[in-house]
Amino acid sequence: MKLNCINSILRVFAVTILFVSCSSDLDFDQVNDLKLEPVFIANLAYFDIPANELVADGGTQIIYDSRNFDIFKKQFLRDYLKKAEFDVEIENTIERGFVINMLLLNSQNQILTTISFVVPAYKGSPNVIKYPTEVFENQRLELLKQTQNIGFVALMTSGVPLDENSLGNLKLRSSTTTYFEIEAK
Amino acid sequence: MRAKYLILGLLFQLSCFSQNKEVLYNFTSIPQSLLVNPSADVSYKYYFGVPVLSGVSVNLGSSSFSVYDLFADNGVDFNDKVRNIVNKSSRNDKVVTNQQLEVFSGGFRVGGSESRSYVSFGVYQEFDFFMYMPKDLALLALDGNKDYMGKVFHLDDLNVKAEVLSVFHVGFHKKMNDKLVLGGRAKLYSSGANAVSTHNSGYIFTGQQPGTVNLYSQIISSNLELKTSGISRFTKDEYDGNIARDIAHNTFFNGSLGLGVDAGVTYYPKENFQITASIIDLGFINQSKDIETLTYKGTYQYQGANPDFSGTDDPENVFAEFKKAIPRDTLYNKYTTWRPTKIYASLQYSFGYFRSDNDCNCKENIKERYRNAAGIQLFGMTAPREPLVAVTAFYKRNIFEKLDLKATYTIDEFSSTNIGLGLSGTIWKLNMYALVNNVLEYKDISKASSAAFQLGINFVFQDSED
Repeated sequence: MKLNCINSILRVFAVTILFVSCSSDLDFDQVNDLKLEPVFIANLAYFDIPANELVADGGTQIIYDSRNFDIFKKQFLRDYLKKAEFDVEIENTIERGFVINMLLLNSQNQILTTISFVVPAYKGSPNVIKYPTEVFENQRLELLKQTQNIGFVALMTSGVPLDENSLGNLKLRSSTTTYFEIEAK
Repeated sequence: MRAKYLILGLLFQLSCFSQNKEVLYNFTSIPQSLLVNPSADVSYKYYFGVPVLSGVSVNLGSSSFSVYDLFADNGVDFNDKVRNIVNKSSRNDKVVTNQQLEVFSGGFRVGGSESRSYVSFGVYQEFDFFMYMPKDLALLALDGNKDYMGKVFHLDDLNVKAEVLSVFHVGFHKKMNDKLVLGGRAKLYSSGANAVSTHNSGYIFTGQQPGTVNLYSQIISSNLELKTSGISRFTKDEYDGNIARDIAHNTFFNGSLGLGVDAGVTYYPKENFQITASIIDLGFINQSKDIETLTYKGTYQYQGANPDFSGTDDPENVFAEFKKAIPRDTLYNKYTTWRPTKIYASLQYSFGYFRSDNDCNCKENIKERYRNAAGIQLFGMTAPREPLVAVTAFYKRNIFEKLDLKATYTIDEFSSTNIGLGLSGTIWKLNMYALVNNVLEYKDISKASSAAFQLGINFVFQDSED
């Protein structure tokens, strides 16, 4: 009986050894290396102007509108946005050429930067232009992070007169690609 | 920074799995086996657990990755490890933790020495955490949507619940005759902190659809809901107390209350053949203290900042529109949570007669006349999507009169190599037990997908020892 007791003690201790097991080298400080680098694509802006709304004689004409666009001022983007790209695609089926200026405006409505897109007149063949990607990094990105409004100026260059029966549209479609770097530090 | 820890927290919840206590189940030399089957064929004159040491159990593990996968000091970039884990995981991978600590426990036989009716009671603290791998949200956080045009990111991948509670319980089991034991247990739950976000739906979509005016079709359809109880005061700026202490206090003295029952049956069709079944934690908690429900419900289609040259002034603001479409609402309604209910069943065949050293062994149970027992056990537990199930084969051996061994082999969706070992020994009136599972993984615990242990010390008094 006594022997049994001693044995039982030994056995109970034996089981505790199971808890003292080995483990590979671990480094929990690696958490600090975590860096998320997601890339998000979103719509930027679009418009579609039919020619019959641009009733004009053969001379130049300017139309303008601005929109609230303070998304890049949000704290999260100010902290973690590392790069942004604008991609713009314009399709013109109006027999007039255009120059479209995209303006980034600060809260005082001062122009921070202007991006110009020259659009040739429609000549009967497909007229879709994909413009080179506008990249915002470093200094230019800081301008984007101050942007409160986005403005569009469409300047119609001289050419054939337009009336309410004119055909065609001026269509702009655009997107923004945002590159984040989210770190603990 | 906060976002990073949130994401990391979601990925790394020292993930664990189910509450299956396959080694403890029907290990009747341990009084705590009554907590997994109130009809367990346990007999005693009276017993009490050593306060705080009578029952400690922790389950740790993960169905899709191990601590080693994430934190190995092997020169692999940490971000690559996180990405690998997310990529190889599925949305049904589970992260389940359960921890229990008995504060006190005890039991006594009612009636005279011929009686076969027993009462047991106690208080234990429990922590539960259950989460499915939020795979789509993790992908979105790691990669963004650029490389996933046309993919629907499901918001219902977010499915998580957590609770800290204390359980006051009283159980009764009675040997109706030599063949049948019936048992039941009533439980009063006191929940100190609860968080539930299991009824989410919605999606985030970015795609290109021909014929639309915009470059992309971007839709967020959100039906997110987080219910909390006993937590919201800690999130307020003016709170300056000790969160751990306050949760502990609420858990035992000021929790949301609930009721539940356990029930079980043990039946011997033949002397050496035993069938058992039990249902544990069939109950609910009425979450009523410091309740707060957050919801984000609505649909938003993002168009961009679009000029209108017709001259009408439309002062739209993307952010304001988004907040209006999917508003954050706070509600203060009571809600009911159901406890994770567990079901066990077993078949056991006993063989090999036991030769006692004692002169008289007449008070011993029928089964303890046998030296060996083997059989199978089934386990099931309710979970937000589909129940968890496990099958266990076991072998029990009475090594010495007062030393029992149980070995188990369990197959479930987490592992097919889960071997468990348990020892229960009694020295004088001191019963000690230690149970571990997944022993094969102990050669390098950091690579284990799961680990569970239970241990405890009780004083058990039998008639034969008087």
